[in-house]
Amino acid sequence: MYPLSQGLLIATQYANRLKLHKMPGEYAMKNIFSPSSTRRLAVILLLCLWSAIAEAKTPWHWQMSLRTDSVVGAALMPTTLYVDADKERYYLIDSGNNRLLSFSREGKLLHSFTADNELKIPFDMVRTESNDLWVVEKGRNTLTQINTQEKKTTPHTIEHNGRLVFPDRVEYTKNRFYILDKASGDILVLDINLTILRRVACPTEKGAGGFVDFKVVNDDIWALDRRSKTVYHFNGDGVIADRIHLGDEVLSPVSLAIDANEVIYILDRLAGTVAAFDRSGKNKYLFLESGQAQGQLYFPNEILFDPWGQLCIVDEGNGRVEIFSR
Amino acid sequence: MRNLMQLSPLALILLLPLILPSLGYAENVCFKCHKQQLFKNTFTHKPVADDNCGSCHNPHVARYKNLLQQNVAALCFSCHEKAGREFNQGIVHSPVKKGDCTACHAPHASNDRGLLNKRLADSCFSCHTATPKQFEHTHTPYAKGACTACHRPHQADNGYLLIDNTDKLCLTCHQQATLQRGHANFPKQPAQCLSCHNPHGSKRKGLIRNEMHKPFAEGCKGCHGKEQEGAATVCLECHDDVKQQMYTTHSHFTAPGKGNGCLECHSPHAGDTTNLLISEQRILCRKCHEETFHRKESSPYPHPDAATCSNCHDIHGSNNAGMLKGDGNDVCAGCHKDQGQFTHPVGAKIRDPRTDQAVTCVSCHYPMGTEYKYQLKRNGQKELCILCHRAY
Repeated sequence: MYPLSQGLLIATQYANRLKLHKMPGEYAMKNIFSPSSTRRLAVILLLCLWSAIAEAKTPWHWQMSLRTDSVVGAALMPTTLYVDADKERYYLIDSGNNRLLSFSREGKLLHSFTADNELKIPFDMVRTESNDLWVVEKGRNTLTQINTQEKKTTPHTIEHNGRLVFPDRVEYTKNRFYILDKASGDILVLDINLTILRRVACPTEKGAGGFVDFKVVNDDIWALDRRSKTVYHFNGDGVIADRIHLGDEVLSPVSLAIDANEVIYILDRLAGTVAAFDRSGKNKYLFLESGQAQGQLYFPNEILFDPWGQLCIVDEGNGRVEIFSR
Repeated sequence: MRNLMQLSPLALILLLPLILPSLGYAENVCFKCHKQQLFKNTFTHKPVADDNCGSCHNPHVARYKNLLQQNVAALCFSCHEKAGREFNQGIVHSPVKKGDCTACHAPHASNDRGLLNKRLADSCFSCHTATPKQFEHTHTPYAKGACTACHRPHQADNGYLLIDNTDKLCLTCHQQATLQRGHANFPKQPAQCLSCHNPHGSKRKGLIRNEMHKPFAEGCKGCHGKEQEGAATVCLECHDDVKQQMYTTHSHFTAPGKGNGCLECHSPHAGDTTNLLISEQRILCRKCHEETFHRKESSPYPHPDAATCSNCHDIHGSNNAGMLKGDGNDVCAGCHKDQGQFTHPVGAKIRDPRTDQAVTCVSCHYPMGTEYKYQLKRNGQKELCILCHRAY
């Protein structure tokens, strides 16, 4: 599928081939209406129309980018985004620079936070009701509690059944932490004291490789297994309610987001695309493409909805967050 | 027909050499120049045996080498239709993928069944030069040169073009009861034979692979029976350097099937190399990164020396995108020593106007392969440059 801009580019290239601008007016007009030129013009119009239709198929439009300024310097390998609905703030985990960046709802850069340069490869974060930040630090393999008022940092190493847990992505809702354990590929549910309450295991079906991302929606867990290209929907009791096979529509699924209509958005890290699926696994549409320009993605790492219904994509390779609205 | 009737007899005589080859009446004419005995052997290709040279060759002029009617693969598959369909499925042997049938087969005649150019094993070893022809202890089918006892020559559903998955394959010759007797202290039914045995040969008895994991050589208790048995952390207790690589932004710390993720790539017991890989790197990486390999193989311009992934990637984990060993400059500069001396400026001080990220080699090149020369992401004449240089 060509986006409109690409369609126009191709159309321009065709027009350039006709070299109309180099021709005297009369000759050019004759040339335009010659049979071959008419065919070419028809192709141009079809390409534009096709592109417009293709673009119209996705309801998402680029809204803004979360980017830094020259004072704090560019983000380097940002990995995930946390959105605080109460404070109306975006928190970008700037992993490569060992810091957290906060932005207003309008996308204005507010603060750069390093916990006195103590953060070691932060990867994901949440904020609890007590205003503490809980940051997954890959460099320490900890879930680190940061009390910003007292400027106190407490790294927590997590173990389960005698095995070391390797925290990856984290969510927090209703006094529960949900942590993706990279060592097992399972999701652990913990209380506020970091006591493990239960484990949501990645099914050991043929081809399974462990979860790479998950989202908690109304107490249900939606989890993505990259290797088998499957989305699992667990109900509140941890029972599998749905298995959605994505098939070959995606190359390298890395993250997922679920909207209010339970449309599943899959971020493809390698292809730089987002594919939307219904619950039966039917691909509804595919949008975005790989690249560096605005609205293009380069090794993106996370897709999520913000509380205002906008689709946010953390674009690790391009060091920014792209936000799309309907 | 009226036109033909109007042709003079002289014209018909002149046209005869053109008409007859296509009708297949004048094949013996070929052997007036080409020595016929070179085209006959124990096994002769049917069109040759039928003196039907014209089924493959045009006697006058052709677009293809050796006056072939079509390219080699298309020509072969025009008769061997079923093979043509099958050879697209699963894992395909490299010469087959390239349509190079004559790499192994003689098109006219051969001493060997299947019209092979050479004896089967000799044919295989002509490409697989890194594989020793014999070992101190050699597996019997290998010693006999019976490669097809285990491998399919064209395509297969299993890695290494194996006829079946490894355990099933071994059991076609080795009886389960015999195996169990030979593994008396094995805690469960013997399986995953290749975890310890080299199917071709070894310097050790029983075809145990040459390099043994130290705890395995010393017994089983170094790893088995521990509280964390079955978890990768058992391995990381000793391999601290690898553990540090797991404490990175992106790592290969995965655990499919709830087991020990390390065993996805390494044997805990024995291997052919010191890192105890269970297979060659290109096979191992492909298991999960098929799309990357496909891109590399289908791109007209892939990086020429990209066969060994670990040349550029930190296999266990890295703080760089794509698990590279450094940023998009460091890795390339390791081989391209003159990079930066005469080319587009790169480095932390040169920023990409589209993203404000540092310009690196991978800003313009995609080493896994593209449609453009030098693995450029767009046409280097203009399209690529104007992505940043808008006023150009």
